[in-house]
Amino acid sequence: MPANVIMPALELAQETGKLLRWIKAPGDMVRKGEPIAEIETDKVTVELEAPASGILQDVTAQEGDVVPVGHTIAIIADSASPTLSPQGGRSGTLAPQGSGAVPTLSPQGSGAVPTLSPQGRGQGEGPTSDRIKASPLARKVAEAHNVDLAHVRTASGKIEKADVLAYVESRRTVATAGNGGPGTIVAASPKARRFAAERGIDLRALKGSGPEGAVLAMDVPAAAEPTGTGPLTSAPPTSGPLTSAPLTSALLTLPSPQRGEGVAAGEGGGIPRRGVEDAASQEKVGTVWRVMAERMAASWTSAPHFFLVREVAVARLGAWLDKARAQTGVRITYTDLLIKLVAAAIVQHPRVAVSWRDGVIERHPDVNVGLAVALEDGLVVPVIHRADTLGLKEIAARREDLVARAQAGKLRPADIQGGVFTISNLGMYGVDAFSAIVNPPQAAILAVGRITDRVIPVDGKPAVQPTMVLTLSCDHRALDGARGARFLGALADLIEEPLTLLV
Amino acid sequence: MSERELTYGEAVKEAIAEEMRRDPRVFLIGEDVAEAGHPFKTLVGLVQEFGTDRVIDTPISEPGYAGIGVGAAMTGMRPVVDVMFGDFITLTMDQMVNQAAKAHYMSGGKIKVPIVFRTTLGATRRSAAQHSQSLHAWVSHVPGLKVALPSGPYEAKGLMKTAIRDDSPVVIFEDKMMYRVKGPVPEGDYTIPFGVAEVKRAGRDVTIVATSSMVPVSLGAAKLLEDVGISAEVIDPRTTWPLDKQALIDSARKTSRALVVDEGYERYGVTAEIASVIGEGAFYYLDAPVKRMGAMDVPVPFSPVLEDLTVPSEQTVFEAARALCRR
Repeated sequence: MPANVIMPALELAQETGKLLRWIKAPGDMVRKGEPIAEIETDKVTVELEAPASGILQDVTAQEGDVVPVGHTIAIIADSASPTLSPQGGRSGTLAPQGSGAVPTLSPQGSGAVPTLSPQGRGQGEGPTSDRIKASPLARKVAEAHNVDLAHVRTASGKIEKADVLAYVESRRTVATAGNGGPGTIVAASPKARRFAAERGIDLRALKGSGPEGAVLAMDVPAAAEPTGTGPLTSAPPTSGPLTSAPLTSALLTLPSPQRGEGVAAGEGGGIPRRGVEDAASQEKVGTVWRVMAERMAASWTSAPHFFLVREVAVARLGAWLDKARAQTGVRITYTDLLIKLVAAAIVQHPRVAVSWRDGVIERHPDVNVGLAVALEDGLVVPVIHRADTLGLKEIAARREDLVARAQAGKLRPADIQGGVFTISNLGMYGVDAFSAIVNPPQAAILAVGRITDRVIPVDGKPAVQPTMVLTLSCDHRALDGARGARFLGALADLIEEPLTLLV
Repeated sequence: MSERELTYGEAVKEAIAEEMRRDPRVFLIGEDVAEAGHPFKTLVGLVQEFGTDRVIDTPISEPGYAGIGVGAAMTGMRPVVDVMFGDFITLTMDQMVNQAAKAHYMSGGKIKVPIVFRTTLGATRRSAAQHSQSLHAWVSHVPGLKVALPSGPYEAKGLMKTAIRDDSPVVIFEDKMMYRVKGPVPEGDYTIPFGVAEVKRAGRDVTIVATSSMVPVSLGAAKLLEDVGISAEVIDPRTTWPLDKQALIDSARKTSRALVVDEGYERYGVTAEIASVIGEGAFYYLDAPVKRMGAMDVPVPFSPVLEDLTVPSEQTVFEAARALCRR
């Protein structure tokens, strides 16, 4: 049974994905789970795994193409039956090739789901077997759902739990939609489809209130963003098919800012050179740059900014850093210390970890601190989750890993989701102080200047000591000056006397 | 200027009279337009003011006087040709479609045909199948013709003046059931631009695009909808060509639902064209299929009971809009 390979949605608000390169060529025999292409989404590059075993055919997306999420970009045909039917498979995408821009749905059933994995993973499932086998767990789930395993087909021939759940889901869909077999397009209004695609929500997970069970816009959870508990993108996570457990709207509406994008205008390096250049002196920008441009413009024009500036003495922080390095044997940086101290300051003033959304201030309980990282082609903000619970060593290791992967273009969606506050440090570029743009939907960002000797009064006399200038940019819809100042004050105290962390 | 009220018919007459006073090239020609003042009494008094040279009664021959009108327009006059019932445009089609609409193009712009065909639409007058049709879709289909559909006295005067001053052939369909309806009409000169829709009533939940006779019907339906908590936006394109597509699309994008109501036959009609404009322009904003309501696809019955059933009413528009909103 042929399976469609679709452009997955890995992030909220992702409408398109760029096909970086095909790892496999048309006509190649591929195994389920084997990487077949590299996809660049708004911020990450991932490998697309073969949704099924078979022969890669009907490749419609060329390298460099930007393809709407949900569009079929190739088909994996059964090696046994080369005849293809676009209606075949349990893919659920079934938009005829190239037909229009309707964002189709995430497929159900592992037989057709392009599963995603971090780079490098992706062992195959073994050759197709004539005999249908099922895992014990699959049998148990099938029994619980009253499913005859003979009706569950997979491309690999082996039935796993997810296949059974997908089958159950498809039966449910068929029952509501009223026609067609598994693989029927979910009935949904165009507006609902657009909402779902923009928000990375799988329509199948939603209960439609429209005619014949069609999903209407009101059925799509409003302004939903995923929590840190897992990507609610329409493409399933690494482990295969979408779980059939419906995503509850409660889960979907839990707040959690994510997809942070960095900050400072005038980041070093100017516009990056990347990809093909036009004949004129224009440059195409990469996805990361484009997203940065859009998000920063949106933030600057919609969030009223104000800026709080404070110079802090860092002599003690320097001493603390030396001790920490000596004790741990790890190359801890000022940035790591700042992450730790910012997290501690957020714990003291959780009111800065908020979002302004539709007239409501949403609080974010998890202290997930984002760090703006400059790339050749833009900025990304990988997130150190629950930084308040981590030790310096862990923070340093996390930071090192994230920065390395960011620079290699190998961040995963989870790496950039869930941030509630961002730090942007341009100290290493010799910048004394700067004002950053708030990274939506967060409410504040800390711009960190260089540490250098400055003249400050000590006991009524001028003294030369190392200091650093911190600038806190706030979204005035979600924060006011006093709240911002209290947070900045707490942070300054922690920096000037880091030992207060211990008391 | 005080809030003066005129009937729809008086507004039409005032527009023609003012234009005839303003421009000596404007004249009126048709059946029973002079002494009789038109069967609907819309032109009473014009012949007394302007004389039989400028208000010309003709024999019963629509093709003949329509052709006279086209020829006069080509030679520099600005005729208003009266076609008593919209049903009779079937007889003037060659003059409208193959002559008036084409001459400007086929002469390389040397010939202009500034003619106005003034005719009617609308059922429920108990006039039977040959005098009750709304055939404005026919001419809306033809490039080279402009088509105006005044939905009230104010529009009747403003659109008629714009039509007379336009250098292109214009067909203006008046709702014969609205001639006695009164409404505010400013004294003196004003025009209503073609191709500019008017939002008659702002709303949030559903867009009702309504033309001509269906505008008051839809406004009535909007009131009923309000009672059940649905906020309907009623928008009147005022001209089917040029068509203010963007206004219709914008409204549908805003509300996510659109109902198009027009008194022409539903099939292959104005509603279909407008629905497709909305479907293309607002697709990703729509939460329901665009719904159309036109006249029933039957020859208009003579029986009053049956005739009334063939035309959208406040109640049926209300029900359709409510169903669209699923409430």
